[in-house]
Amino acid sequence: MPSSSPSAGFRSGLTASLPITLGYLPIAFSFGVAATRAGLGAAEAVFLSLVMYAGASQFLALALIGTGAPLAVSAVTLIAMNLRHVLYGPALLKQAGADARKKHAWAWAFGLTDEVFGTTLGVLARGQHRFSERFMFGIGLGAYASWVMGTALGAFAGGGALEGFPTLDAALGFMLPALFLALLLSVLRRAQLPLIAVAIGTTALVSWLVSPVAGIFSGMVAGAAIGMIRAPRATKGNTA
Amino acid sequence: MSVDVIQLGLIVGAFTWAFRFAPTRLDLANDRPEGLFDRFLSATGPAAIATLFTASVLPMLKPGLGDQAPLAMGMLAVIGAHFWFRSTAIATLSGAAAYGMTIFVLG
Repeated sequence: MPSSSPSAGFRSGLTASLPITLGYLPIAFSFGVAATRAGLGAAEAVFLSLVMYAGASQFLALALIGTGAPLAVSAVTLIAMNLRHVLYGPALLKQAGADARKKHAWAWAFGLTDEVFGTTLGVLARGQHRFSERFMFGIGLGAYASWVMGTALGAFAGGGALEGFPTLDAALGFMLPALFLALLLSVLRRAQLPLIAVAIGTTALVSWLVSPVAGIFSGMVAGAAIGMIRAPRATKGNTA
Repeated sequence: MSVDVIQLGLIVGAFTWAFRFAPTRLDLANDRPEGLFDRFLSATGPAAIATLFTASVLPMLKPGLGDQAPLAMGMLAVIGAHFWFRSTAIATLSGAAAYGMTIFVLG
Protein backbone atom coordinates (compact mmCIF):
# COMPACT_ATOMS: atom_id res chain seq x y z
CA MET A 1 0.00 0.00 0.00
CA PRO A 2 1.42 3.38 -0.86
CA SER A 3 1.88 5.47 2.28
CA SER A 4 1.12 9.17 2.21
CA SER A 5 1.76 10.76 5.66
CA PRO A 6 4.32 13.60 5.57
CA SER A 7 7.01 11.95 7.71
CA ALA A 8 6.46 8.63 5.97
CA GLY A 9 7.13 10.43 2.73
CA PHE A 10 10.59 11.55 3.81
CA ARG A 11 11.42 8.15 5.31
CA SER A 12 10.21 6.38 2.18
CA GLY A 13 12.42 8.63 0.13
CA LEU A 14 15.43 7.79 2.26
CA THR A 15 14.63 4.08 1.98
CA ALA A 16 14.20 4.37 -1.78
CA SER A 17 17.64 5.98 -1.98
CA LEU A 18 19.31 2.80 -0.68
CA PRO A 19 20.13 1.28 -4.09
CA ILE A 20 21.42 4.66 -5.24
CA THR A 21 23.55 4.93 -2.11
CA LEU A 22 25.03 1.49 -2.73
CA GLY A 23 25.86 2.53 -6.25
CA TYR A 24 27.06 6.05 -5.44
CA LEU A 25 29.44 5.24 -2.58
CA PRO A 26 31.89 3.19 -4.66
CA ILE A 27 31.58 5.40 -7.73
CA ALA A 28 32.11 8.56 -5.71
CA PHE A 29 35.01 6.83 -3.97
CA SER A 30 36.47 6.17 -7.43
CA PHE A 31 35.96 9.83 -8.30
CA GLY A 32 37.80 10.93 -5.15
CA VAL A 33 40.67 8.59 -5.99
CA ALA A 34 40.76 9.76 -9.62
CA ALA A 35 40.69 13.41 -8.53
CA THR A 36 43.78 13.00 -6.36
CA ARG A 37 45.46 11.08 -9.20
CA ALA A 38 44.70 14.07 -11.43
CA GLY A 39 46.46 16.38 -9.01
CA LEU A 40 43.48 17.87 -7.17
CA GLY A 41 43.45 18.25 -3.42
CA ALA A 42 40.89 16.48 -1.26
CA ALA A 43 39.07 19.78 -0.62
CA GLU A 44 38.80 20.45 -4.37
CA ALA A 45 37.42 16.97 -5.04
CA VAL A 46 34.78 17.33 -2.32
CA PHE A 47 33.96 20.86 -3.52
CA LEU A 48 33.23 19.56 -7.04
CA SER A 49 30.91 16.88 -5.64
CA LEU A 50 29.17 19.41 -3.40
CA VAL A 51 28.41 22.01 -6.07
CA MET A 52 28.43 20.11 -9.37
CA TYR A 53 26.81 16.86 -8.20
CA ALA A 54 26.81 15.22 -11.62
CA GLY A 55 28.97 12.09 -11.77
CA ALA A 56 29.83 11.77 -15.44
CA SER A 57 30.51 15.50 -15.72
CA GLN A 58 32.82 15.39 -12.74
CA PHE A 59 34.93 12.60 -14.26
CA LEU A 60 35.03 14.55 -17.52
CA ALA A 61 36.00 17.67 -15.57
CA LEU A 62 39.06 15.81 -14.28
CA ALA A 63 40.07 14.95 -17.83
CA LEU A 64 39.59 18.56 -18.96
CA ILE A 65 41.51 19.95 -16.01
CA GLY A 66 44.25 17.38 -16.68
CA THR A 67 44.60 18.47 -20.31
CA GLY A 68 44.75 22.13 -19.33
CA ALA A 69 41.65 23.07 -21.31
CA PRO A 70 40.59 26.75 -20.94
CA LEU A 71 37.94 27.41 -18.33
CA ALA A 72 35.34 28.54 -20.88
CA VAL A 73 35.83 25.44 -23.04
CA SER A 74 35.59 23.14 -20.03
CA ALA A 75 32.49 24.89 -18.70
CA VAL A 76 30.63 24.80 -22.04
CA THR A 77 31.50 21.12 -22.57
CA LEU A 78 30.29 20.14 -19.12
CA ILE A 79 27.15 22.28 -19.34
CA ALA A 80 26.26 20.68 -22.68
CA MET A 81 26.74 17.26 -21.13
CA ASN A 82 24.14 18.04 -18.46
CA LEU A 83 21.53 19.43 -20.84
CA ARG A 84 19.69 16.09 -20.73
CA HIS A 85 18.49 16.95 -17.22
CA VAL A 86 15.91 19.40 -18.60
CA LEU A 87 13.64 16.46 -19.38
CA TYR A 88 13.59 14.93 -15.90
CA GLY A 89 11.50 17.39 -13.86
CA PRO A 90 8.53 17.60 -16.26
CA ALA A 91 8.58 13.83 -16.86
CA LEU A 92 8.46 13.12 -13.11
CA LEU A 93 5.71 15.65 -12.45
CA LYS A 94 3.72 14.19 -15.33
CA GLN A 95 4.09 10.71 -13.83
CA ALA A 96 3.04 12.12 -10.42
CA GLY A 97 -0.28 13.24 -11.93
CA ALA A 98 -2.61 14.86 -9.39
CA ASP A 99 0.01 14.46 -6.62
CA ALA A 100 2.49 16.72 -8.42
CA ARG A 101 3.75 19.55 -6.20
CA LYS A 102 6.58 21.97 -6.96
CA LYS A 103 6.53 24.64 -4.24
CA HIS A 104 10.00 23.58 -3.08
CA ALA A 105 11.22 22.29 -6.42
CA TRP A 106 14.00 24.89 -6.37
CA ALA A 107 15.55 22.83 -3.56
CA TRP A 108 14.74 19.18 -4.35
CA ALA A 109 15.44 19.61 -8.05
CA PHE A 110 19.11 20.17 -7.18
CA GLY A 111 19.28 16.45 -6.40
CA LEU A 112 17.52 15.30 -9.57
CA THR A 113 20.36 13.18 -10.93
CA ASP A 114 20.00 10.38 -13.50
CA GLU A 115 19.72 7.78 -10.76
CA VAL A 116 17.35 9.75 -8.52
CA PHE A 117 15.14 10.39 -11.54
CA GLY A 118 15.17 6.73 -12.64
CA THR A 119 14.57 5.37 -9.16
CA THR A 120 11.74 7.81 -8.39
CA LEU A 121 10.10 7.01 -11.70
CA GLY A 122 10.30 3.29 -10.86
CA VAL A 123 8.80 3.83 -7.38
CA LEU A 124 5.92 5.85 -8.80
CA ALA A 125 5.37 3.42 -11.66
CA ARG A 126 5.15 0.43 -9.32
CA GLY A 127 2.81 2.34 -7.00
CA GLN A 128 5.15 1.86 -4.03
CA HIS A 129 4.74 5.50 -3.01
CA ARG A 130 2.85 8.54 -4.20
CA PHE A 131 4.79 11.60 -5.25
CA SER A 132 5.44 14.16 -2.53
CA GLU A 133 8.07 16.84 -2.06
CA ARG A 134 9.12 15.18 1.22
CA PHE A 135 9.76 11.96 -0.68
CA MET A 136 11.92 13.92 -3.11
CA PHE A 137 13.89 15.47 -0.23
CA GLY A 138 14.38 12.02 1.33
CA ILE A 139 15.64 10.29 -1.78
CA GLY A 140 17.69 13.32 -2.74
CA LEU A 141 19.36 13.66 0.65
CA GLY A 142 20.31 9.96 0.82
CA ALA A 143 21.85 10.05 -2.64
CA TYR A 144 23.63 13.40 -2.14
CA ALA A 145 25.09 12.43 1.24
CA SER A 146 26.47 9.17 -0.13
CA TRP A 147 27.97 10.95 -3.15
CA VAL A 148 29.76 13.57 -1.08
CA MET A 149 30.83 11.05 1.58
CA GLY A 150 32.15 8.61 -1.03
CA THR A 151 34.12 11.40 -2.68
CA ALA A 152 35.67 12.43 0.63
CA LEU A 153 36.63 8.85 1.48
CA GLY A 154 38.23 8.34 -1.93
CA ALA A 155 40.03 11.66 -1.89
CA PHE A 156 41.50 11.08 1.56
CA ALA A 157 42.39 7.45 0.70
CA GLY A 158 44.50 8.82 -2.15
CA GLY A 159 45.40 7.89 -5.71
CA GLY A 160 46.73 4.40 -5.00
CA ALA A 161 43.81 3.20 -2.88
CA LEU A 162 42.47 0.60 -5.33
CA GLU A 163 45.74 -0.44 -7.00
CA GLY A 164 46.09 -3.52 -4.80
CA PHE A 165 42.50 -4.66 -5.44
CA PRO A 166 41.99 -4.99 -9.23
CA THR A 167 38.97 -7.30 -8.90
CA LEU A 168 37.22 -4.91 -6.53
CA ASP A 169 38.16 -2.02 -8.80
CA ALA A 170 36.56 -3.84 -11.77
CA ALA A 171 33.41 -4.74 -9.80
CA LEU A 172 32.98 -1.11 -8.73
CA GLY A 173 33.29 -0.08 -12.36
CA PHE A 174 30.23 -2.19 -13.24
CA MET A 175 28.10 -0.71 -10.46
CA LEU A 176 26.59 2.06 -12.59
CA PRO A 177 25.65 -0.07 -15.62
CA ALA A 178 24.17 -2.63 -13.20
CA LEU A 179 22.09 0.08 -11.50
CA PHE A 180 20.79 1.42 -14.82
CA LEU A 181 19.91 -2.09 -16.03
CA ALA A 182 18.06 -2.82 -12.78
CA LEU A 183 16.18 0.48 -13.09
CA LEU A 184 15.32 -0.28 -16.71
CA LEU A 185 13.92 -3.68 -15.74
CA SER A 186 11.86 -2.09 -12.96
CA VAL A 187 10.01 0.28 -15.32
CA LEU A 188 9.89 -2.03 -18.34
CA ARG A 189 6.52 -2.73 -20.00
CA ARG A 190 5.86 -4.55 -23.28
CA ALA A 191 4.42 -1.42 -24.92
CA GLN A 192 7.72 0.40 -24.35
CA LEU A 193 9.94 -2.09 -26.17
CA PRO A 194 9.98 -0.14 -29.48
CA LEU A 195 10.96 3.15 -27.85
CA ILE A 196 13.61 1.44 -25.72
CA ALA A 197 15.05 -0.29 -28.79
CA VAL A 198 15.18 3.04 -30.63
CA ALA A 199 16.78 4.78 -27.63
CA ILE A 200 19.47 2.08 -27.34
CA GLY A 201 20.15 1.96 -31.10
CA THR A 202 20.32 5.74 -31.46
CA THR A 203 22.62 6.11 -28.45
CA ALA A 204 25.02 3.47 -29.77
CA LEU A 205 25.03 4.84 -33.32
CA VAL A 206 25.43 8.53 -32.46
CA SER A 207 28.03 7.77 -29.77
CA TRP A 208 30.03 5.89 -32.39
CA LEU A 209 29.58 8.45 -35.17
CA VAL A 210 29.67 11.72 -33.19
CA SER A 211 30.35 11.60 -29.44
CA PRO A 212 29.04 9.93 -26.29
CA VAL A 213 27.47 13.20 -25.09
CA ALA A 214 25.58 13.62 -28.37
CA GLY A 215 24.63 9.94 -28.19
CA ILE A 216 23.01 10.32 -24.77
CA PHE A 217 20.93 13.36 -25.70
CA SER A 218 19.82 12.08 -29.10
CA GLY A 219 19.01 8.64 -27.68
CA MET A 220 16.68 10.15 -25.10
CA VAL A 221 14.96 12.44 -27.58
CA ALA A 222 14.62 9.72 -30.25
CA GLY A 223 13.17 7.22 -27.77
CA ALA A 224 10.74 9.76 -26.33
CA ALA A 225 9.74 10.83 -29.84
CA ILE A 226 8.87 7.23 -30.75
CA GLY A 227 6.75 7.06 -27.60
CA MET A 228 5.08 10.29 -28.65
CA ILE A 229 4.13 9.21 -32.17
CA ARG A 230 2.92 5.76 -31.17
CA ALA A 231 -0.75 5.24 -30.38
CA PRO A 232 -1.66 6.88 -27.05
CA ARG A 233 -2.95 3.60 -25.61
CA ALA A 234 0.37 1.89 -26.22
CA THR A 235 2.36 4.49 -24.33
CA LYS A 236 -0.17 5.10 -21.59
CA GLY A 237 0.39 1.64 -20.19
CA ASN A 238 4.05 2.31 -19.82
CA THR A 239 4.54 3.41 -16.27
CA ALA A 240 1.12 3.55 -14.71
CA MET B 1 41.97 25.56 -3.63
CA SER B 2 42.56 26.55 -7.24
CA VAL B 3 40.48 29.50 -8.43
CA ASP B 4 39.88 27.72 -11.76
CA VAL B 5 38.43 24.67 -10.03
CA ILE B 6 36.17 26.87 -7.90
CA GLN B 7 34.96 28.84 -10.93
CA LEU B 8 34.39 25.68 -12.99
CA GLY B 9 32.47 24.03 -10.16
CA LEU B 10 30.26 27.06 -9.54
CA ILE B 11 29.48 27.73 -13.22
CA VAL B 12 28.68 24.11 -14.11
CA GLY B 13 26.85 23.58 -10.83
CA ALA B 14 24.64 26.62 -11.42
CA PHE B 15 23.72 25.54 -14.94
CA THR B 16 23.09 21.94 -13.86
CA TRP B 17 20.77 23.15 -11.09
CA ALA B 18 18.96 25.41 -13.58
CA PHE B 19 18.53 22.51 -16.03
CA ARG B 20 17.01 20.40 -13.26
CA PHE B 21 14.82 23.09 -11.69
CA ALA B 22 13.65 25.50 -14.41
CA PRO B 23 11.62 22.94 -16.44
CA THR B 24 9.60 22.06 -13.31
CA ARG B 25 8.04 25.55 -13.59
CA LEU B 26 6.31 24.51 -16.81
CA ASP B 27 2.56 24.50 -16.42
CA LEU B 28 1.52 20.97 -17.36
CA ALA B 29 -1.99 21.27 -15.97
CA ASN B 30 -3.52 22.33 -19.26
CA ASP B 31 -1.75 19.70 -21.33
CA ARG B 32 -4.27 17.26 -22.81
CA PRO B 33 -3.83 13.77 -21.30
CA GLU B 34 -3.49 12.21 -24.74
CA GLY B 35 -1.62 15.15 -26.23
CA LEU B 36 1.72 14.89 -27.99
CA PHE B 37 3.66 16.61 -25.18
CA ASP B 38 2.05 14.36 -22.58
CA ARG B 39 3.08 11.27 -24.53
CA PHE B 40 6.57 12.68 -25.05
CA LEU B 41 7.02 13.16 -21.30
CA SER B 42 5.58 9.73 -20.47
CA ALA B 43 8.08 8.11 -22.82
CA THR B 44 11.03 10.20 -21.61
CA GLY B 45 11.66 8.15 -18.46
CA PRO B 46 12.12 4.71 -20.01
CA ALA B 47 13.99 6.25 -22.95
CA ALA B 48 16.35 8.10 -20.61
CA ILE B 49 17.13 5.03 -18.51
CA ALA B 50 17.70 2.89 -21.63
CA THR B 51 20.00 5.58 -22.99
CA LEU B 52 22.03 5.91 -19.80
CA PHE B 53 22.38 2.13 -19.55
CA THR B 54 23.66 1.99 -23.13
CA ALA B 55 26.05 4.89 -22.60
CA SER B 56 27.49 3.26 -19.48
CA VAL B 57 27.96 -0.13 -21.15
CA LEU B 58 29.47 1.03 -24.45
CA PRO B 59 32.94 1.83 -23.03
CA MET B 60 33.05 -1.66 -21.49
CA LEU B 61 32.61 -3.52 -24.78
CA LYS B 62 35.76 -5.34 -25.87
CA PRO B 63 36.71 -6.50 -29.39
CA GLY B 64 36.78 -10.30 -28.79
CA LEU B 65 33.70 -12.41 -28.07
CA GLY B 66 35.45 -14.13 -25.14
CA ASP B 67 36.27 -10.76 -23.61
CA GLN B 68 32.55 -10.09 -23.16
CA ALA B 69 32.19 -12.81 -20.49
CA PRO B 70 32.37 -10.46 -17.45
CA LEU B 71 29.85 -8.07 -18.99
CA ALA B 72 27.53 -10.93 -19.96
CA MET B 73 27.74 -12.53 -16.51
CA GLY B 74 27.17 -9.20 -14.81
CA MET B 75 24.09 -8.45 -16.89
CA LEU B 76 22.69 -11.96 -16.44
CA ALA B 77 23.16 -11.63 -12.69
CA VAL B 78 21.27 -8.31 -12.67
CA ILE B 79 18.41 -9.80 -14.70
CA GLY B 80 18.26 -12.98 -12.59
CA ALA B 81 18.37 -11.12 -9.27
CA HIS B 82 15.76 -8.64 -10.45
CA PHE B 83 13.25 -11.36 -11.31
CA TRP B 84 14.12 -13.39 -8.19
CA PHE B 85 14.16 -10.66 -5.54
CA ARG B 86 12.39 -7.72 -7.26
CA SER B 87 14.93 -5.43 -5.59
CA THR B 88 16.99 -2.82 -7.42
CA ALA B 89 19.65 -2.83 -4.69
CA ILE B 90 20.16 -6.60 -4.69
CA ALA B 91 20.12 -6.73 -8.49
CA THR B 92 22.77 -3.99 -8.67
CA LEU B 93 25.06 -5.62 -6.12
CA SER B 94 24.61 -9.07 -7.70
CA GLY B 95 25.61 -7.71 -11.08
CA ALA B 96 28.72 -5.99 -9.74
CA ALA B 97 29.71 -9.10 -7.77
CA ALA B 98 29.24 -11.39 -10.80
CA TYR B 99 31.23 -9.01 -13.00
CA GLY B 100 34.13 -8.83 -10.53
CA MET B 101 34.13 -12.59 -9.85
CA THR B 102 34.19 -13.41 -13.57
CA ILE B 103 37.21 -11.17 -14.04
CA PHE B 104 38.88 -12.82 -11.05
CA VAL B 105 38.18 -16.36 -12.36
CA LEU B 106 39.33 -15.56 -15.89
CA GLY B 107 42.43 -13.92 -14.51
